[in-house]
Amino acid sequence: MGQEYPVDPKCYEIIGEIGSGVSAIVYKARCLRKGGTGTGTIVAIKSIDLDQSRADLDSIRLETKTMSLLCHPNILQAHCSFTVGRRLWVVMPFMSAGSLQSILSSNFSSGLPEPCIAVVLKETLKALSYLHDQGHVHRDVKAGNILVAYDGAVKLGDFGVSTPVFDANFDSRLKDIAGTPYWMAPEVIHSHNGYGFKADIWSFGITALELAHGRPPLSHLPPSKSLLFKITKRFRFSDYDTININNNKLGLLQGLGLISYIEVVVRPTADKLLRHAFFKNSKSCDFLVKNLLAGLPTVEERFKMSKCITSANTKMVSLGSASGATTNTNTNTATTTTNTASEDDATETGELMKKQRRVSGWNFNVEGVRFHGELVIPDKRVEYEAFSSSSASPGFSMGTTTPTPTEEVYPVDQVEEASLVALRGNLDEQRKNVKDLITFLGGDQGGGGETNKEEHLTDVVDRLRREMEQEKEKQRVANGVGIS
Amino acid sequence: MPMKGLFKSKPRTPAEIVRLTRDLLVQFDMGGIRESKREEKMADLSKHIRDLKCILYGNSEAEPVAEACTQLTQEFFKENTLRLLINCLPKLNLEARKDATQIVANLQRQQVQSRLIASDYLENNKDLMDVLMTGYENTDLALHYGSMLRECIRHQVVAKYVLESDHLKKFFEFIQLPNFDIAADAAATFKELLTRHKSTVAEFLSKNYDWFFAEYNSKLLESSNYITRRQAVKLLGDMLLDRSNSPTMTKYVSSRDNLRILMNLMRESSKTIQIEAFHVFKLFAANQNKPADIVNILVANKSKLLRLLGDLKTDKEDEQFDADKAQVMQEIASLEPKELA
Repeated sequence: MGQEYPVDPKCYEIIGEIGSGVSAIVYKARCLRKGGTGTGTIVAIKSIDLDQSRADLDSIRLETKTMSLLCHPNILQAHCSFTVGRRLWVVMPFMSAGSLQSILSSNFSSGLPEPCIAVVLKETLKALSYLHDQGHVHRDVKAGNILVAYDGAVKLGDFGVSTPVFDANFDSRLKDIAGTPYWMAPEVIHSHNGYGFKADIWSFGITALELAHGRPPLSHLPPSKSLLFKITKRFRFSDYDTININNNKLGLLQGLGLISYIEVVVRPTADKLLRHAFFKNSKSCDFLVKNLLAGLPTVEERFKMSKCITSANTKMVSLGSASGATTNTNTNTATTTTNTASEDDATETGELMKKQRRVSGWNFNVEGVRFHGELVIPDKRVEYEAFSSSSASPGFSMGTTTPTPTEEVYPVDQVEEASLVALRGNLDEQRKNVKDLITFLGGDQGGGGETNKEEHLTDVVDRLRREMEQEKEKQRVANGVGIS
Repeated sequence: MPMKGLFKSKPRTPAEIVRLTRDLLVQFDMGGIRESKREEKMADLSKHIRDLKCILYGNSEAEPVAEACTQLTQEFFKENTLRLLINCLPKLNLEARKDATQIVANLQRQQVQSRLIASDYLENNKDLMDVLMTGYENTDLALHYGSMLRECIRHQVVAKYVLESDHLKKFFEFIQLPNFDIAADAAATFKELLTRHKSTVAEFLSKNYDWFFAEYNSKLLESSNYITRRQAVKLLGDMLLDRSNSPTMTKYVSSRDNLRILMNLMRESSKTIQIEAFHVFKLFAANQNKPADIVNILVANKSKLLRLLGDLKTDKEDEQFDADKAQVMQEIASLEPKELA
């Protein structure tokens, strides 16, 4: 258990940044109280800005609780967590090879070799099997959340959105949308019945494709939910049948074939997948050290590289918008006028980003108040009656405001058009994968009774393809250039 | 292979598994187990506990069966199984502890002939809450005992007992423990205690107003810990805005010390705290019988307040918030200094 790790920021020395997200930064750090001969143990610290974070404190509480109560070789456990000002620090083992997503984009942009995929998937399945057995749904299985240690150990991490199904009020929480769109299972996106264990299995299937091809299917499309809603309706692995097999990743597809059925019932459990032939002769973790980790840049280097790329991108964006510059000047003036006597935020970084001017202290030394002191308090009984009658007066609501979760709404036309264009390039490719996959699958599932449905779906696909062709033509005419 | 199936012993009934569990728990509780037998018996106990969990929650192959759950629950509360389980929890391994916690949670909801028999049991065994409370002082047990405690206070009699005991005072400390998991767990339980059972809470707050809010203000709302302040101001809003607590609310919003604290929270750099503080502050402003000193503070800070409120916006659009804000601003703008009586 991680309780030996100190819950005091002074005991950790930050070495460098190794990851960042909207409201969290991941550091490589040294725990000064641990490890022999004064070297200290290297750890990863995820620092979450609690004020920026969309998640409410309850979900964060459940996340850290989950992380500290799970104990399995394939699960990234938290050593401890504590708050530092407005940020929550979650101290975890340092996984020196980083996430598979980062390994893919750094050295394997067109996918991993099959034996490596088998090892990674098998270890991930062990994690899922344990997690599901414990009543937890991970909800965000993807290469970016599968981490590798220096010794080739594979761990499933980031429980940013994982939820215990056994928890008392799980119904309400499960219905929240969480996870990353490309990996989401259809029933999650459609979101009528919320999540189940099998949603993880779908994401696992998408992750398998991601490992094989370097990116998830449909990743060319903007990650809008409404868009995905449409796509996944058509993106049924079972919609496609027959056709040629010219993919050398046969074993993988066979493994995958079991998974990616849109019907939740048909999707196998993690346990059942583990028994699949694909994993029978899978190599050990040492294999990963030689074949995956050798020659890999360090996590720090990879992070720096990715940061260069993103910052170059954002620079271009902000140069394009004049308002960006104006905001900056505003910010500066605002900071100078801000009261320096405020006691609560001295330690906070990133204050410069605050656009809002803050009020410089209240005046409580009101004339009269000081004079009369405590004698001012009027007859309580009278006051109470007066107020309680007035509190019933209409107009002013005393009710707590319940924020209704509003879904992002995208203009349908735009999305439709964009999706069709993007789909053209992407779907053809994906169709091929999927076809191969289904071919292998046909034997397992004996889809004889489904012919009608399949015929119907083939029609749908054909129509869709025609639509796309038309759209493509239109675009060609409009742009005067071919789109690839 | 088929032979093995033939000789497989008959599956045990839920009641039998409860009895086997209880027998082992008694042995571990008494501590009279020979060292050589210990490991084996612990493995058996863990297995039985796992089996009980599976009956109550089902597994990947099967949903729970109502009849089996009822049997289990009845047998469980027939004797002191719950007490034994709680006492022996420190002796169990992590997996068995988690299973046990889930079992206890589930049992609180099981009805036998439309009665929550867990509630009846706990009513006669309230001292178990004293044991569960000690969990917060022990890092290894905190999350398990904490979860169990939160489940037990679903029952009004149990919540009333904890609220009125000295335990409540300890929450002011537990909420601020450095270990986030444990502090957050304590905060969740504290919130549950002060919001779930309306009539009990209303009675508690009016009887204990003075000490409770003195502690609440100084230890929580004015804590140096961001999370503590944030949770406290949110919970304060939840309590005061609840209709059943309106006498307490009326009293709270007539105090200029309270107003001072809320106004300071409103000018924190944290947006989340500002918004939550507004939901309490609006009550001070909306009070149609504001004491003169409250009025005068609001008047003295009129322009600053209006500016601050003008800038205060929620991330997502929130009509209710905007309407409340407009109303409060209007009220403040129209205030005139009041002669003190």
